[in-house]
Amino acid sequence: MPDVKMVVCCKQVPDPEAPPTAFKIDPTVNKVTLPRDIKPVIGQYDEFALEAALRIKDKVGGKITVLSLGNNIARDVIKKTLAVGGDELILLEDESFEEGDSWSTAYALAMAIKKIGEYDLIFCGRQSSDWDAGQVGLGIAEILSIPALTLARKVEIIDGKAKVEQVISDGYQVTEIGFPSVITVTSELGNLRYAALKGIMAAAKKQPVVWKPADIGLEPSQVGIAGRRVKLAKLFQPAKDAKCEIVEGESPAEAGANLAVKLREAKII
Amino acid sequence: MAFKGVDYYGIEELLSDEEKMFRNAARGFLEKEVEPLVVNAFHKEELLNMKELAPKMGEVGMIGATIPQEYGGGGANYTQFGLLCQELERVDGALRSFVAVQSGLVMYPIWQFGTEEQKRKWLPQMASGKIIGCFGLTEPNRGSDVGGMETVAKKNGNVWVLNGAKEWISEASTADFALVYARTDEGVKAFLIPRGTEGFTQTFTDKKGAMRVGDVGTLALNDVKVPEEDVLPGSTRVKHVFACLNQARFGISWGAIGAAMSCYETALNYTKQREQFGAPIAAYQLVQRDLVNMLIEITKAQLLSYRLGRLLDAGKAKHQQISLAKKNNVEMARMCARTARSLLGANGCSYDYPPIRHMGNIEAVYTYQGTDFIHTLILGQDITGIQAFTRKL
Ligand SMILES: Cc1cc2nc3c(=O)[nH]c(=O)nc-3n(C[C@H](O)[C@H](O)[C@H](O)COP(=O)(O)OP(=O)(O)OC[C@H]3O[C@@H](n4cnc5c(N)ncnc54)[C@H](O)[C@@H]3O)c2cc1C
Repeated sequence: MPDVKMVVCCKQVPDPEAPPTAFKIDPTVNKVTLPRDIKPVIGQYDEFALEAALRIKDKVGGKITVLSLGNNIARDVIKKTLAVGGDELILLEDESFEEGDSWSTAYALAMAIKKIGEYDLIFCGRQSSDWDAGQVGLGIAEILSIPALTLARKVEIIDGKAKVEQVISDGYQVTEIGFPSVITVTSELGNLRYAALKGIMAAAKKQPVVWKPADIGLEPSQVGIAGRRVKLAKLFQPAKDAKCEIVEGESPAEAGANLAVKLREAKII
Repeated sequence: MAFKGVDYYGIEELLSDEEKMFRNAARGFLEKEVEPLVVNAFHKEELLNMKELAPKMGEVGMIGATIPQEYGGGGANYTQFGLLCQELERVDGALRSFVAVQSGLVMYPIWQFGTEEQKRKWLPQMASGKIIGCFGLTEPNRGSDVGGMETVAKKNGNVWVLNGAKEWISEASTADFALVYARTDEGVKAFLIPRGTEGFTQTFTDKKGAMRVGDVGTLALNDVKVPEEDVLPGSTRVKHVFACLNQARFGISWGAIGAAMSCYETALNYTKQREQFGAPIAAYQLVQRDLVNMLIEITKAQLLSYRLGRLLDAGKAKHQQISLAKKNNVEMARMCARTARSLLGANGCSYDYPPIRHMGNIEAVYTYQGTDFIHTLILGQDITGIQAFTRKL
């Protein structure tokens, strides 16, 4: 089945490898603030999703449209999707897209996918690498009224269907899904290939298409923070309280017994 | 924590998307695939297996980056090549040496001075990392004094016969072929000699205090016969040799920044955490002065190399400007390595931290591709009009 039409949703997130201490929360406005030297990257699960699509393109041929929603999307970050083999890049980029929830994000992405029109498979990461909600992929499927499979570790195209290995708690199960459908991808699929210089030079010549809310038939009030259905009540850093107590005893055996008693009292064992 | 680089003067804003993308791709690849191999190997003086690594590096476009794509290269600009060198040397100087030799000293002369047939034969295979070349210029008796080389080639019908020896040659024992310079009646010529050619031996030099993960060795030439088709027709003068050296010297100017960044970053993190006399040592003025001096010198070096890359791309760089950047930046990296090593105290003497490894490597860089003195003399001659390389006694 040649030429599978694929859409891959990729989100720009702050580098999760940055030290946790770099992330500060301002509880008065419920916002995370980041120092400027933390560079954005593409969410790692979204990278696995892109790799899933690339492997299909390698094997049976196809077209990959990468879709990214946000504001101030760094071109040198997101164009990596073209450098590794994506064919087309569409950015839903506008101030009004900022601070959406899973619903408003899925809604805007679904409207953009409708506008793209032709698609067989939509790939998403199993969750974003910043908020980890894990709902956007399924939200897109719901809004487009198409089926979805989650946690794919391998995707193959056989007889016009996708054969998917889904990770489950004690192994994996093999499922099949017809077109069009949404597949969310997990880490076991494997890392995104490295961008090679030739791919980078070719990607440099392509410009992403930028869509505003109006281009996908939406009002600014339907997207981003205005379109949220989940209201964020409180965002705060949990206070960590660590105390150290030395448990003593006449002998190591007695100290051990004393420790066991303490742990039992604290209902830890 | 992922390496972020040093960018005090917003040089990032001066870089194009494809420059940043290539730098980031190189960084990602090196951090995952190569860095873990280096530290132990350096300690034990075990060579990185370039036969295995080079094809992987070739696949992501790290070899022959500036060579046109029609010959298998990447078609990149000089700044991209420079940023690549920075990332390579940030991990280890031997990696940058490998890429600079393969790309700048072997592929570049074949591309500039070779026949169409030679280019098609060698360049794509070298770019893919399937074939490794080395560059034989330095001799036991002639180092800085390139013009005085003793290796000779005599023409015998359609075949050249070479005799001599080359020493301190990067990749000498690994290389699938060597580009060797020899004196002839027609000037200094470049010969391509495949491994296994009769009379041609390649050996490895051990017990090095620098570039310990990199292969360096000796090439011996004993009546080695080279057919005319393996001679680069366009390379007949010492100035053609210098054209290649300029490529590698530019790469070194960026590589030195990478080594210095690694040292600075290590020292900054360490001094903020290490406490003595009741406070982090970074709280003391003397330590801050050392850190600030490193930052200042790295920033100046970045601006030099950035500008030099743009001049090279515009075809306007003078070789003396390349000398200035090589000399300045290597001296800078040498200072940073030494400073970082001392800020780490005794831990600075351990291979668990990178400064002492960079400190060893940078000594080789200070000497090869024109010693610090030689670049001083190049600049001295340029500004005074008086050469001070030779003197009659
Ligand atoms: C790790 C490593 C890898 C190398 N790889 C290669 C390679 O791949 N291919 C290759 O061809 N070579 C290679 N070299 C050799 C390198 O290029 C030479 O070592 C360098 O050119 C200096 O030559 P030399 O060591 O003979 O020193 P010399 O030329 O003997 O210099 C010794 C000292 O004298 C000084 N000096 C020399 N002439 C003058 C002068 N006129 N005025 C003032 N001072 C002077 C020098 O600055 C230096 O301090 C490598 C070297 C090392 C260490």
